[in-house]
This record gives sequence, structure tokens and C-alpha cells, in this order.
Amino acid sequence: MNMNLDSDATRVLPLNRRSFLTLLGVGAATPAVLAGCSSEAPGGAGDPSGGDVTSALPDYIPIDYVEPDFPSVNGSTAGYATIPTDLVQVFDAPPGSGSEFTAMTPLWGAIPPTEGNQYFDAVNAAIGSTIQFQISDGNAYGDKLAAVLASERDVPDWVSIPTWNIPPRFDQAVEALFEDLTPFLAGSAVEKYPNLANIPTDVWKFCVFDGQLKALPFPGEIITDAIFYRDDVLEAEGYTGQPANGQELLDLAKELTGGDRWAANDLWNSSVIIHGVVPKWRINDDGTLTHRVETDEYRAALEWNAALFAQGSVHPDAVADNSGDAKTRFESGQVLISNDGVGGWHEALGRQLASNPTYSQRPFTPFAADGGTPVLWKGNPANIFSFLKKNSDPAKIEELLAVADFLASPFGTTEFELINFGLEDLHFSVDANGLPVATELAATEVQPTYIFLTDPPVVNAKVQYPGFVEAFCTWMADAAQYVNDPAFFGMQITEPTQYASLAQPFEDLEKDISRGRKSMADLDAAIETWKTSGGEELRAFYTDILDAQ
Amino acid sequence: MSTALGPDGAATATHPPVDAAAAGSARPDPRRRPRRSKHRPVWEERPTALGTGAKVIVLALIVLAVVYPLYTVIITSLSTTAAVTQAGGLVTVPTEVTTAAYRQILAGGIVTRATLVSIGITAVGTLLSTTVSILCAYGLSRPTSFGHRPILFVLLITMFFGAGMIPTYLLVSNLGLIDTYWSLILPGAVSAFNVLLLRNFFMGIDPGITDAARIDGAGEWRVLGQIVLPMSKAVTAVVALFYGVGYWNAFFNAMLYINDNAKWPLQLVLRSYVLQGVTLPGSGVGQVDVATGAVTGLPVKMAVMVLAIIPVLVVYPFVQRHFTKGVIFGAIKG
Amino acid sequence: MTTRTVPTDVTDHAEPVDRSGPGGAGPAPTGPPRPRRRSVWTRIKRDRSLLLMTVPVIVLLGVFAYVPMLGNVIAWQDYSPYVGILDSPFVGWWNFERVFTNPLFWDAVRNTLVITAFQLVFFFPIPIALALLLNSVITPAIRTTIQSVVYLPHFFSWVLVVTIFQQLLGGAGQLHRILEGAGFSGFDIMTNPDTFLLLITAQSVWKDAGWGIIIFLAALSTVDPALYEASVMDGANRWRRMWHITLPALRPVIILLLILRLGDALTVGFEQLILQRGAVGAGVAEVLDTFVYYQGVINGDWSFAAAAGLVKGIVSLILVLGANKIAHVFGEAGVYKRA
Repeated sequence: MNMNLDSDATRVLPLNRRSFLTLLGVGAATPAVLAGCSSEAPGGAGDPSGGDVTSALPDYIPIDYVEPDFPSVNGSTAGYATIPTDLVQVFDAPPGSGSEFTAMTPLWGAIPPTEGNQYFDAVNAAIGSTIQFQISDGNAYGDKLAAVLASERDVPDWVSIPTWNIPPRFDQAVEALFEDLTPFLAGSAVEKYPNLANIPTDVWKFCVFDGQLKALPFPGEIITDAIFYRDDVLEAEGYTGQPANGQELLDLAKELTGGDRWAANDLWNSSVIIHGVVPKWRINDDGTLTHRVETDEYRAALEWNAALFAQGSVHPDAVADNSGDAKTRFESGQVLISNDGVGGWHEALGRQLASNPTYSQRPFTPFAADGGTPVLWKGNPANIFSFLKKNSDPAKIEELLAVADFLASPFGTTEFELINFGLEDLHFSVDANGLPVATELAATEVQPTYIFLTDPPVVNAKVQYPGFVEAFCTWMADAAQYVNDPAFFGMQITEPTQYASLAQPFEDLEKDISRGRKSMADLDAAIETWKTSGGEELRAFYTDILDAQ
Repeated sequence: MSTALGPDGAATATHPPVDAAAAGSARPDPRRRPRRSKHRPVWEERPTALGTGAKVIVLALIVLAVVYPLYTVIITSLSTTAAVTQAGGLVTVPTEVTTAAYRQILAGGIVTRATLVSIGITAVGTLLSTTVSILCAYGLSRPTSFGHRPILFVLLITMFFGAGMIPTYLLVSNLGLIDTYWSLILPGAVSAFNVLLLRNFFMGIDPGITDAARIDGAGEWRVLGQIVLPMSKAVTAVVALFYGVGYWNAFFNAMLYINDNAKWPLQLVLRSYVLQGVTLPGSGVGQVDVATGAVTGLPVKMAVMVLAIIPVLVVYPFVQRHFTKGVIFGAIKG
Repeated sequence: MTTRTVPTDVTDHAEPVDRSGPGGAGPAPTGPPRPRRRSVWTRIKRDRSLLLMTVPVIVLLGVFAYVPMLGNVIAWQDYSPYVGILDSPFVGWWNFERVFTNPLFWDAVRNTLVITAFQLVFFFPIPIALALLLNSVITPAIRTTIQSVVYLPHFFSWVLVVTIFQQLLGGAGQLHRILEGAGFSGFDIMTNPDTFLLLITAQSVWKDAGWGIIIFLAALSTVDPALYEASVMDGANRWRRMWHITLPALRPVIILLLILRLGDALTVGFEQLILQRGAVGAGVAEVLDTFVYYQGVINGDWSFAAAAGLVKGIVSLILVLGANKIAHVFGEAGVYKRA
């Protein structure tokens, strides 16, 4: 998970405490939320077995409507250098049968009108069912979910749930509220829904709760974060090489700092990447588990980041932990190195290219802090799920799945174009290069809604930014060779609630040690506290899961 | 307050008992008296140069401390994304002025509708909250009335013991208030603090005046309506302002209780503009790119901030009117 | 306010307020307190209008505050929203134990109390002083203009306030650049834990002091100008008038706000602190609310959060009642008067 939401979320701090709670839940605690409480074990604390995943999985039947120009390598994101001129129409007739459904989705953007919205009308007509959206504030979505899921009558037919908003004891909610999709999709049953069958198995694995297929996915990328640098500025100043190890990056940062310019934002996340710190647990050769905070890599990452701060290379605002303006600092050239989610790349181009055509940023080629082989950890196979409320009428579930199949239509289809861009001439026009250009109406009406219910596998077709698709896909194809599956990858594990707060002291320490307020001795003390206040029990909990595999 | 500043006791005793307004007009307005300086009352001594100088400096610093940041906020809201990038944050020196951020927010009918919703909720809510608070505060303002202390305790408890979000949601849902405007008014309709504040002011009113009214046979409702309220305009205005601001700025209840986006109040809609441009975790290159060269980031956020202040700017003078010195006599016991 | 005797006593309510005991509400205008003579029913009947007036608030609070407040029973449960309050297992005092045995809890309480104490001295009086200062400005145009400017920062979000302070006072801020030009360097008040208390108080003053004066302005508007005139005739100067007329007029509301602030001793700027926690470290920025947030709320540990909330509520209530008692000792009415 990248830090974008974190930083922006902090900036848009609401006027109210509640929502603030949530956005910090998303942000500051990102690793903990993901590692700590998003994982849900089927059956709760007492039954960490995970169930038999394989029998619930749909078959994988890939389809390629359009051959990508930059094919996927080792699971990297495929890319298209041009928008295909002839789109494929997958559905001859609307798949739905005219029912009306309610759907709740988060939104990080301007709320679109729900009545008289031609985009909604067009998509609803195309899918043949009416989806009535209950769009909710993305930053306060966790609160909304907590309340709605506790009140069964208020649960809509279709609920989108981002992984970072998954509440504790979610297994109980899934069990009580949501339909088991196994009978509809497992094995060859999925053939009825060819676009859903096009979603890779790893992604579906992540949708299995307690041995049952429960969710529809919004697939993610295998690499989520990167260390970006301003190649336009660096090249102009004569820096062309890439750092080969942690020390070289420190040296570079030192050289780049001076006057009113600092080399970097807080690079903690970058330090985690170059040190290959495991997301949560490392399985040792003898089958024992080592927690992330106990590893040498974690320790080294802290020392490295502390060295970066100590040598004065970090912008004072970043020292003050102002992550909200991190992107602004980077894009304005006040800092030249920053970590970001890979999605932040094209967004920065979108913001900057119009006023500064020479703007450019690039991710560093993966390297290890010690100069050896880099170790990257695979990102979540899905970042957002959607669940169908239990319905006594299987026909309704089948209708919703048919709609999901429509929504999963991949890049290169007319369905994809409709869902993502709206109606031609009304919401977008096609320019000389075949690129869809959004109209003003699109800014009002076309907001991400349907895509949060089900989405096809990710591709990169941001052809409007010259050279971007190639740069992105080549970089990721190269980086993908270093990607490893972390322990318990793709498994939904529920930790008992009382362990969830164990990670918090380390998040504080990461900031304290980086800024020189605390020392590595404090880390040792924190690890001891962690062990005695539940860490060992947590280890035993995960060891049981491991043994059950 | 029992100091021997004699005149008020005598003064109030001579007031016509019921009609406080009449009592007010019976005295010459001090502001109309001839005076040495245009605004200074006759009895007030000429300020010293040192005192005036110190006052001017302090006030100037205070105003500067507020106005300068306000200025940067407004300038930023009128800037382009490029200008913000160049400044690396809030803009202090305007380069090119554009109202793009405001136009973007106000485009489309949704803000208009949300504004109407907010005005309705604020008007109805403020009226309801202020009314019930005044009634309760007055009902509790007689130091010897039956049961006022237990009731005060009931109020106090609500200040320190909250209810969780989930129980409150379940309550609102069970009352059938989900997706109704009442869900935005009723759950927070009473602030114990405001009731206590009103009561505090009501108790400061000279009992001689109200007692005199009772001699004339006025009931409690009449005493409240004809004596206490007219003498408490300032605090009533303040409490109404507190409630009004609360209703106007509230968005969390709406986020929880209103599913129908057409019923969203303004603050929730404005927030959605603030959230614009947030990158989803791991969404990577994603398929959606709605950006249309629109202004994003700081200018929009600052424009939202400015828009949030405007209604208060409009309303505040009406509240302030009641702060004029010496409108009411004898309101405070000596 | 408590000692003046009203000469007339015609209605039940007009008796002097310094008489103690509810039984003092007799028709006789003078005399020592008497034993309770009226039956409850007579008193209810006598005060029926007043009681009726409190009904709407009692109903609203009863339904929307007290009913959901019952949900706090989850403090004694291992509560899951998906199982419900009725079926969640009871676990005795386990959640309270978790609160009290957490060493971070006591750190948070200490930080909270330090901040409260500091702000009681350096924040609480400022709106009062500001109100008095404004009140002494004679020209109405200037007074109203200043008045309508100083409250505006209240409507800024905390993110914006912190951003503004960062841009002005931060290590890359405008003040820093000026000082650097003058040869000073190396200070950064935004990241210094030792001066954090000053920083957050300055931020609070900047944001909320202007808004805080409104209540005092309302109180000042109730002062009879004749009092000033009379005291001038008695030879009182500017300061004596403030001491003997203006401040006494503000006293009841100051006492009320002070008592309620004491009750809120365990509540200090949550958003403000959570935003700057990374800058100075949890060591000085962890307060009770952020502790509950990080240890309970973000993890959906509702039972833990409820237990912490109850502890906080009880402490607050004790503080308020205590402060109220102290107010009585000094002859003040406080939140409610001793009968």
C-alpha cells in the first residue's frame, strides 16, 4: 500500500474528530491496518485453519481482446502504447434482468449527482439492472461500514469494502451478512461469467473467507510502491547514474541538499523497500516465525533512515511529519527524492505536464541496501472487495454476478470504455491520437463507482503522457523479477482483537528513531514489551496457521 | 457580586415592574448624551497616551496575526495548481488570479441543492435547539424550584458520558430516521453546555424584576417571554450562533445516516471536493483518469475553507448587534 | 449574587436565595430556614410550569443520549457488533484492566493533565482579557471590525492551522528564512518536544481565543452603564471600575466555564495533537484521547474504547462536582447551587 492516501488524507483533515479517526486508520497506521487487522481468519480467533481454499476457487480462463504492447512479465502490469481503434463488444444484450439493487461504495472525489446522471443511466441501461448508489465519503468509510454492518436491515445489496477498512471480527459479519459465492463461481461454474474467469487465481484466493468464496475483487498490482526521483532536475545537474546500494543513496541525498533545497521527504518507506523488510512475518528455515520488528532488516532500515535524517537531507516540513504536502514538495522541486505509490507517478504527470511540459519523475531501479539482490514483497492481490448481501432468491445473486461479469470487462472492450469514460461525445471525445478526452460533464458525472464493485485485472493505458506507459511497464517488468510472496500471502487471517494495538508503539518508534529522539536501545525495549504483552501469543497463533497448511 | 455599588438596587426597584423595555426607554440613552469625544461617555476619563498606544499596538498585532494567514488562504484559493507548485504550499504572493477553484466547486446543481438542504437543517435545527434550550434553562433557573438539581445532573452526565457510534446508529435506524433530515437534527439537538450557559445568564437577572411581574399575576411563561427573553438577547443570540454553526458545519451524522446522495448537506458535498485527487492505496495506474486539467489540491481545499466561512460572516453581524454596551439596564444584580 | 436580600417576597419564588434548604420556599418573607413543610406534590404543582419547560430537553436527551449510552455496557463485554450487545459475552473488568495496566495509559494521562494545567493558566484567561480589551475600545466601528475578524480562525480546520504554523515557523518557514538571513539558524519550534506545550497553546490561542470572547462579550452587554457612571462619581478610576463592576459581571460565566473546563481536564485537542504527534513524538503528544484512539478505536476494539470512555467520564464528573463544591466554598453558584 502506498502512502498517498495517507498523505492526502492528513491534508484534508475534516472538521470532525470521527472522520479523522478513520483517515488516520487509513494512513498513519497503514502497515498495521493491513497487517494487523485487515487480515481475517475464518472462524475467528479460535479457528485459524483457513479452510480448504482451492475447492472454492474459480477456474482461470484468460482472455486477451487486445494484445498488450508491453506484456506482463512475472506478473507485472501489462501496458498499451496506443488505444485500440476497434473495441470489442462483449455483451450483445444487457446481462441484467431489470431488478433494482442498492450498492454502497466509497468515493475520494467530488460527489456526482445521483438523479438525472446520464452516466449512471447509460451504464444501468447497458447492464440491464438498476444500481442505486449510496456513495459515501472515502475517508470516513470505515465508520460508515462499522455502523452499517452492525445493523443488518441497513446493509445494501452490494457493499464495497476496501481492505484497509475491514473491521475486526469481520469474519462474523461475512458469515452472517454475505452470500457464499462458491456454488455460483467455483471451478468451472465461473465459465458462465467469462470476464470473471479472466481474473487470476491469486486474486480470487484473497476473496476466500472460511473456505468459502465470498467476495468480488478490485485487483491490485504486484508492486505497489517505489522510490521516485526527479530525473529532469537530476539530469540537468549532471546526475545520471542510479544508486547501487543504501550508502550511495545517502551520499546522493547529501550532495543534493543545500540552500533552500533538501534532497528528500521522509524516506522510511523507501528504506523498508531497499532493506527488503518483510510485511509481517518471516518464515525461517526451521519453520519458526520471526516478526517484522524482530528482523535485522527492520533494524537496518531504521538505522538507515535515521542516518538520512541525521545528515540533514530531509526537508524540515517532512521532519515535522507533514506528509500532506509531500507531493507538492516533490513536484515543486523542494525535494528531489520521495517514496510514493506507483499510481502517484501518472497522477503527478497529470498535474504537472500542462504547466511544465518538461516535468519528469522516475522510480529508481530496484537495489538492495547492501548492494546485493533486491528483495521486493508482493502487494495485496486485491485492494478492495465487494460483497453481496444474502438473498433467499438465487436468481438475484445470479443477476448481480452477471452484472459483475459486465463490470469486469477488460481493457479494449466497449463495456470497459463505457464504465471508465462514460458516453462518447457526452462525457468524452476522441482526439487525433485516439485518446479519450474528458468533457466538463464527465468531471461532474463520471466518478469511480461501478469499478469499486468489480474491476478487471489492472493494465496501464495512460498513453496521454508521452513515454509513460513504456517507462512504467519496463520498470515494473524489471522489478518483478525480485518479487517474492510474503508469508501467508493472499490469506484472509483474523487476528484476535486484543493483539491489534501491538503494532502501534513501533509506528511511533519508526518516527522517533528516524528523527533521533529515540535510540536502537528503545527498539530492543519495545520488542521485549511486544513479546510479553501478546507478541508471543500472536506468534503462536500464526504458527498454528502455518502448521495447518 | 454583593459589592456596595448601590445605585442598581434602587434603580431596579423604581423600574416599572413588567415592561423592561419600557424601563430601558425611560432612561435617556447614554450614547445620545453630549460628550467630549464622539463615542466616549461623559463620565469616562480621557485615556492616557501610553494606554492608547499600548492598546493600538496589541490590537494591531492581533489583527495582523489573523489577517495575514487569512490572506494567504484566500490568495491560495484564487491560485492555479502551477502557482501552488511553485510556492511549494500556501501562496503568499499572487501570480495569476483565477476563480477556477470556485467555479469548479459551484458548477453543477449539486452544490445549490446541498446549500438549500443545509440552510433548511440549520434553520429548523437552530430554532428547535434554541427553543428547547431556553425553556429548559429557564425551567431550571429558579434556585428553589422542585427537582432542578436532579435535572441539572441529568444534563451534566451527557457532557461527560458519550454514547458510542454504533449504539447511536442502531437507535437512529430503529426509529426509522435513516435517510431523513431529522437524523441530522434530533440526535444532537441539545447541548447541555448551551443550556447551562443560558441558565447562568437567566440567573443573573435581578429577581426583583421577575418577582414584581409575578406580583402582577404573570405566570412563568409570561415572565420568560416578556421579561427574561428580552433581557437576554445577547446570550440567546450567542447560543443560537453556537447551535447554528454546529448544524451548518456538521457532516459526520449526514455521512452516517444519509444514504441518498441527493439529501447530502453542503459540508459533506464540499468535503468530497477536498478529497478529490486522493490516490487510492495500491490502485496503481488504475483504469480511471478523470482528471481534466481541473484545479486540484490546495486551491480547491482553500476555496472550501473560504466558502465555509462565508455564512458565518453573513450571520455574525446580527449576533454582534446584541453586544452593544448598555442596551439593557439592571440585567445584572449588584 | 448570593447575599443580596430582595425586600419583596410575594410569590413562592421570590425568597432570598441565601436561605438554605428547599423547605425555605415558604410564603413568609423573613425568618430562619424552616423544616420542610410542603409535600412533594404541592411543590410539583407549584413548579409545574417550570418542570413542563424542561420536558422537551429531557425527552430529547433521554432518547438520543441516554438510550445509546446504555451501549456502554460493552465495557464489561467482549463486544462484537456482528453478534450484538445481547449476545456478546461478559468478561467482567477485563477491559478496565487492559486500560489501567497499559503503561502508555498513564503516560497519556500525565501528558493530558500537564497540557490542561498549562492551558488553564495560559489559554483560559486570554479570551477574557481580549473581551475586556475590546470592550475598552471606544470607537464602535473599530470595535466591531476587530470583533468580526478575530473569531474567523475558529473556522479553520486543524490541518490548515498546523500548515500555517509550519509555513511561518517551520524549519523551512518564513520566520526561519528571516532569522537565517540575520545569522541565526538551527531552531525549529515545530519539531522541538521541549517547547511543544508552548506551540500547541499558541495554536489554540490563535485558533479559538477570538471565538471564545463571544460569551464574555454577551456577558459584558448586560452591564448597566449607570453603574460605571455612579462609580465614577464615587471617585473610582478605570482599574477600580474594571475590578468592581466589569469583572463581577463576568464572574458567574467565568466560574461556569472554568468548572466545565476542569471537567474536561482529560480532553485536549485531539486533532491538533494527532497531527503533530510525528513531529515531536508520542512521548509528549500522546494524550488520553489519542491513546484510546490508537489502542482501541482504530482497531475496532469497541469494548476497550468504551471502558476508557467510562473511566474518563467518571473522572470528569468527579472533577466537575469537586470544582462546583469549591465554588460554593467561595460563595459562587457554580454549575448548580447547593440547596
